[in-house]
Amino acid sequence: MEINVLGLVAALTAFLTIWFGHVAVRKIEFAAPAIWLPAVIFTTLGLLTEYWSLVTENLALKTALGIAGITFLFDAFELVRQQRRIRKGHAPANPHNPRHAAILAEPNSHATTLDLLKREPIGEPVNPDQAAQLVIEH
Amino acid sequence: MNTFGILIGILTLIIIGLGFPLVIQTERQLGYLWWPYMLGLGVLILIASLFIRNDWLCVIVGVIGGTFVWGSTELKEQAVRAELGWFPFNSNKVKPPFESIIRKWKAPHL
Repeated sequence: MEINVLGLVAALTAFLTIWFGHVAVRKIEFAAPAIWLPAVIFTTLGLLTEYWSLVTENLALKTALGIAGITFLFDAFELVRQQRRIRKGHAPANPHNPRHAAILAEPNSHATTLDLLKREPIGEPVNPDQAAQLVIEH
Repeated sequence: MNTFGILIGILTLIIIGLGFPLVIQTERQLGYLWWPYMLGLGVLILIASLFIRNDWLCVIVGVIGGTFVWGSTELKEQAVRAELGWFPFNSNKVKPPFESIIRKWKAPHL
């Protein structure tokens, strides 16, 4: 029985590049004064990776590069979505980042410096005060 | 020179996009404690992909397996999102088999 590792290669590539992007987007958006520059870099990287996938002859490499390239392109879009999460208070704002400081200072801002997801589930709905208390205690 | 890799990249994006409702609904109906079952199912699907000769089908099944593995690591955070009111909270969840053992394990998160 022949084994076809192409699916495993694809799954591993997707898992690892998405994990990398997941962490990198949050760290970069947290620190970057402007997000257009990292977005342009991710887009360029994505397009180059797709080109490489197009021209290589090796099928496993072609598959891995095709998936990695689309992930990089999506990371550029995720930078914009991450900024939206900051605005809604769904991700922690960085008060030392001028862009985030401006969002925090907006009238009726929902932004917060707390990471409200950084805790274990307790099994019941929480109000905003409890939500803050739970992550401070964690 | 062919577009196999690019098309697989786009297909992967679509399959992982379907992982979002999978995580949301699994957490809402069953709860995050089902994570070991989702992880195990993902690994089984991945192993099944090894025995598929057709390259397109092999990759699609492999990525579906990977999506289940990734989804299992998202369930805990999704449970917190529901508690925060960012998603509807369901208090009548289906308890998983071996719940007391699973509670002793730390749910994975990336």
